Amino acid sequence: MTSPIAGLPTDVVQADLGAGTVAFTIDTATYPLEAVYGASYIFIDRCFVLLDRPADGKIRVSLAPKKGVPDADALRSIVGEFGNELLGCAWRAQITQQNRAVIEALTTQALAGAMGPPSLDELASFDFTEESFEDPLGIATSWEDKYKKKDGKDATATAAPSAATSSQPAESPTGGKGDAA
Amino acid sequence: MIELRLHRDLYRGTAVDEAVKVFARHGTFALSEQPEHWVVRVESKTPARERQLAGELGNYALGLTVKQGGAT
Amino acid sequence: MMSLTQIGKPDLSFPAFFRYRQVRDRVLVTNYEGNFVLLTQDDFRGYLEGTLARDSAAYRDLDAKNFIRATFDQRKSAEQFAARKRHLHYGPNLHVMVVTLRCNETCVYCHASRADMDAVHTDMTPEIAEKSVDLALQSTSPAITIEFQGGEPLVNFPVVQHIIEYALERNKTVGKQLEFTMVSNLGLMTEEKLQYLLKHRVQICTSIDGPEHLHDKQRKLPGLSAFNAATHWIKRINKAYEELGLDTTLYHVEALLTTTRETLPRWKEVVDTYVSLGCRALFLRPIDPFGFAEKTGHRTEYPRAEYHRYYQQAVDYMIELNKQGVQILERYAAIFLTKILSGEDPNFLDIRNPVGAGIGQMAYSYDGKIYTCDEGRMLGGMGDDIFLIGDVRTSKYRDLVSHETVRAVMLASSLDSQPDCVNCAYNPYCGIVPAHSYKTQGSIWGRMRESNLCAVHKGIQDYLFGKLVDGDPATLEIIQRWTTVRPREHFLQAIPHSET
Repeated sequence: MTSPIAGLPTDVVQADLGAGTVAFTIDTATYPLEAVYGASYIFIDRCFVLLDRPADGKIRVSLAPKKGVPDADALRSIVGEFGNELLGCAWRAQITQQNRAVIEALTTQALAGAMGPPSLDELASFDFTEESFEDPLGIATSWEDKYKKKDGKDATATAAPSAATSSQPAESPTGGKGDAA
Repeated sequence: MIELRLHRDLYRGTAVDEAVKVFARHGTFALSEQPEHWVVRVESKTPARERQLAGELGNYALGLTVKQGGAT
Repeated sequence: MMSLTQIGKPDLSFPAFFRYRQVRDRVLVTNYEGNFVLLTQDDFRGYLEGTLARDSAAYRDLDAKNFIRATFDQRKSAEQFAARKRHLHYGPNLHVMVVTLRCNETCVYCHASRADMDAVHTDMTPEIAEKSVDLALQSTSPAITIEFQGGEPLVNFPVVQHIIEYALERNKTVGKQLEFTMVSNLGLMTEEKLQYLLKHRVQICTSIDGPEHLHDKQRKLPGLSAFNAATHWIKRINKAYEELGLDTTLYHVEALLTTTRETLPRWKEVVDTYVSLGCRALFLRPIDPFGFAEKTGHRTEYPRAEYHRYYQQAVDYMIELNKQGVQILERYAAIFLTKILSGEDPNFLDIRNPVGAGIGQMAYSYDGKIYTCDEGRMLGGMGDDIFLIGDVRTSKYRDLVSHETVRAVMLASSLDSQPDCVNCAYNPYCGIVPAHSYKTQGSIWGRMRESNLCAVHKGIQDYLFGKLVDGDPATLEIIQRWTTVRPREHFLQAIPHSET
């Protein structure tokens, strides 16, 4: 039999004191799924955590403490802590997106400072054979490969279009305006 | 017997499979699918043991799902 | 508390980026690079509304410290920010070597999970010691401190000696600025061991929990008084420094304490005890959640509001003593004040952003396991290896510092990603410890609003800024003096000169 938890909204939180479980419904417009996962994960050492989706845009979280038979106060405490963790996870997701640049800069510098340059032995063992980076501007592509005509003829034999007849500016081999750095 | 219903939007199917494998020797498990849920029937020697197995299996599947970046 | 409803229409074009906090009757504003201004409530209102008189002292102060959008100096901001992050340009400087878990004392709050004296299997072997030193000397930091910890490091003195001699020999070709420190209860010190440590310039640090009855109640040394043993050797070591011709205001045994519930009402006795022992610094550390604290917490723990009262009373007393000519500082205050007043970071590894775990320090356990930090090692001692990053027998240095656990801890301790911290006025000066969050709240991220550690840091900074608000000249001169770092060059091992 379910019963409300003192101080918590009855349409959101319900406890089953007999079974020692508590369940509450979360609106995913307020708390994204990633936050629900993040908060749920924190509890799996001391609770059995079950997630369900009773309706679109809703997630129901059921928590059953592993040890003992919790009373109403204990369940209230668990729900409260979960709610706080959920809020922290949701907000943290936003903050890290907003501050991504500075977080990346600091952690990159910290790692680079700690690691230092690789030794010759480490360079010798590094695998350079894989395609390790994307090349959206085609910088690593040779001019010949880039401008080879479709019929296989050598592109260097073709005159560049004149400014008077071409509606497009002559494209530089690098595809860009030069080094901005 | 406990029937554990794990929503497909929230649990990765492979995570559920893996969880069942991990706990296989502790009980009897039967897997089935419903339109919205992965269903795991859990049987063991006592109701308390079944509760514990179902709970730990659910946690394990959740943990794996989180580790793998979500249900999809 | 000032109510923001008193603000009329904010002018977003006037202030540059700032965070704020009420301190006494003032409003503290800090900016990204860590400058601060203490404003009256009227001036704060004027700052937000853009109506602050351009010829006012408050405006001049805000302008000089880069708080005005129209005159914001981005370059200066970047330079000041970079100055606070200098420590990120090099790797671990602190290498904690846990040479044994055996300990001759039993402390009620022991966070090291000490072992009994017959547990010789918890002694570090010379082979593991050498490999630990080899890794430590590969750090990109030009300065390395090897810190001997335990258990009680004097129990495994032969390996302490071996580490010192091996490190000195290896450093002839590596060329680090090398220091050794030892954290010891001094209960097993002998004249012979002392002479060795003095000869090899090992800086000695011990624990004094306060007056004798409190110290001996919390730290059991079978058959003896732990307090008497420690103080006997503190006096002997300090005398030895004097005999060496060293300035004893600078060279003396450092001591620190762990504040338990029993300590709280005895703040005056604690300070008096330290002063009577010739100590110049007192580190009012709160109890931490590692090791035995889990079992004894019901006896030793306390609400952090009580810690704040104790801290304020003790430091107020220390300031009064300073006014009477007694030189004693509080270490937490010195760390925060350095960050606040000097714009520099003293690189205290547990109060920095990001935390020093893995990138500023490493802990080498007796069994060869390597952890991100001493707290991580303590958790390992409790059976949880979440902060384990390698083994001296198999790990390479660059793999250690780039370990995914190190990266996770760095991200988790980045105050720019942390709810609460991201908006906190103390952000430029503060730091969090993921190991502490993990132990107390279940994740390395933690929830700062509920964190004891955050409460301690906020409380101390509130207290210090309160002193700045009060503006008593004598107090300001004293706390300014607490930020002065006099290098202890005697403890620096001679840097080998390269052959030309």
